[in-house]
Amino acid sequence: MIRLLKIEFKKVAYNKTFWILLGLYALILGTIFFGIQSVINEFMIDAGKKAPIPVTKISLYEFPAIWQNLTYVAGYFKIILAIIVIIFITNEYSYRTIRQNIITGLSRWDFLLSKLLMILVISAGATMFLFIIGLILGFTNTPEVTLSMMFVNLTFVFTYFLELFAFMVFALFLGILTKRSGLTIGLLFLYFYIIEKYIYYKLPDGWGDYLPLRSIGNLIDIPNTSLMKIFGLNFRTFVSVQDVIVVFVYSFIFIYLMRLTLKKSDL
Amino acid sequence: MSEEVLVIDKLTKRYGKLKAVDELSITIEKGNIYGILGPNGSGKTTTLGIVLDAINATSGSFKWFGETPSKAMRKRVSAILETPVFYPYMSAVKNLEIIADIKEASYDQIPDVLKTVDLLARKNSKFRTYSLGMKQRLAIAAALIGNPEVLIFDEPTNGLDPHGIAEIRNLIKKIANEGLTIVLASHLLDEVQKVCTHVVVLEKGKKLFAGKVDEVLGSSILVEIAGPEMDKIEAVLNKSEFVVKVERDDKMFIAELKTGIDSSAINKSLVEQGITISHISLRKKSLENYFLELLAESHDKTS
Ligand SMILES: Nc1ncnc2c1ncn2[C@@H]1O[C@H](COP(=O)(O)OP(=O)(O)OP(=O)(O)O)[C@@H](O)[C@H]1O
Ligand SMILES: [Mg+2]
Repeated sequence: MIRLLKIEFKKVAYNKTFWILLGLYALILGTIFFGIQSVINEFMIDAGKKAPIPVTKISLYEFPAIWQNLTYVAGYFKIILAIIVIIFITNEYSYRTIRQNIITGLSRWDFLLSKLLMILVISAGATMFLFIIGLILGFTNTPEVTLSMMFVNLTFVFTYFLELFAFMVFALFLGILTKRSGLTIGLLFLYFYIIEKYIYYKLPDGWGDYLPLRSIGNLIDIPNTSLMKIFGLNFRTFVSVQDVIVVFVYSFIFIYLMRLTLKKSDL
Repeated sequence: MSEEVLVIDKLTKRYGKLKAVDELSITIEKGNIYGILGPNGSGKTTTLGIVLDAINATSGSFKWFGETPSKAMRKRVSAILETPVFYPYMSAVKNLEIIADIKEASYDQIPDVLKTVDLLARKNSKFRTYSLGMKQRLAIAAALIGNPEVLIFDEPTNGLDPHGIAEIRNLIKKIANEGLTIVLASHLLDEVQKVCTHVVVLEKGKKLFAGKVDEVLGSSILVEIAGPEMDKIEAVLNKSEFVVKVERDDKMFIAELKTGIDSSAINKSLVEQGITISHISLRKKSLENYFLELLAESHDKTS
């Protein structure tokens, strides 16, 4: 395991694209995390002028609500991590290094495992990043911090980890299926933003929530804010066990399918 | 004592209707250097790809070191298939470290193997910046990592200039002297003749011939004969009991002599008949001749 991770680390460590994309991800998320509150409040003030009832300023950064707020927003940017994964797996095909890795003595399962481990590490790193920023913002914006306030909603952080992992597993699956980077990225966007949404509306009520990327997206629901309450909307403030199970099942299915694809293919 | 390193048994690979490898059986024994010959598309790369687990066979089996293949065994084998493959954005050293990690070998060997292929001075350059010859040499260096017992080279001199070819050939000879088993697929028959002890000839995925290079080359003597009266010479050669076969090659005849007969016997019989000859000389039978003959024979049979 350690050996496989070491190999994987070496492959990415010297790659500029990897660091650029990762840096971009961190930069975008960092900016949004630190800036989102003031942007939303400005919007709220605008909205408040027209609203029949008074709109109070919101604080996104207060423990414990911060965890759902940050993980929800960050969810929109997981696509960047998926692109990193896709570039890395399809590079192995275009350079033919996957074949050379196997010839040199890695088993096909080892190869897949090394990619999965890398995805696990990226998920953990991104989750850690969010957690640290969350702590900083939480501490500076919560009037009176207690330990239980800090940790009561940490399920969202763990769920975020699962969300990233499952999404990247799906990206890896697409990459292994099509072997070409441009095609895979195009396919991911097409599926994520169009095809799955279309299927969702075609399926009978409720069924669409079991679609792979939809179920990953369902893990963390939109946080309730006073703005939403104006419109009488009320979203889930917890993570449903059922969603977690569905996502786990999908991850296993995709890993199994990748294993099968790799085993059967000529490299 | 011969030890079987690799036994290929009735291996078949189909691509749709095409049989790239067709019921092929080959045995590779320890310490020998095998040349695998065959025209383009005869299944050399496919066969090597299968025994290296890069390609799945349709049917048949193979055994490494007498056992069914596993990744532990594969660490005792190194191979270059077709083109040198490395991560282009990484330096030679880092690429070799990955190879060492996969083979669970130590990094200590890396400077040595780079020195063997004369790339030590460029060890920190990115693979992308290497010339073709340097890439091929790096591939050989990579193959040496982990002290493998068997080396498989598929066209290691592809695209190189004569100097580069000679360099790689010397490298392979050097490695061969250390007692490793080497399998070399190549189109350069001259190359195989100079380096290999054994030869396997493939055509359309089937084995046409397998044997020792010495036996192929040493079994008979070819003599070139020419003179002003070519008709008379031909008549004598055709009747001669010393001659197995006569062929006309442009301005001379090439007579293949029976084993144990030398050219003076032919010379004598021609002179006895009062025929003048302007040219008589020995021609060492080359692998190339043999190879072309084999293919021609197989075409005769099939057509
Ligand atoms: N992936 C593939 N799909 C379809 N046919 C293939 C594939 N790979 C190889 N073939 C076919 O299999 C046959 C054997 O190919 P192979 O590459 O093994 O030949 P080779 O002896 O190595 O040839 P060369 O001397 O040109 O390298 C060829 O007819 C080739 O077209
Ligand atoms: Mg070939």
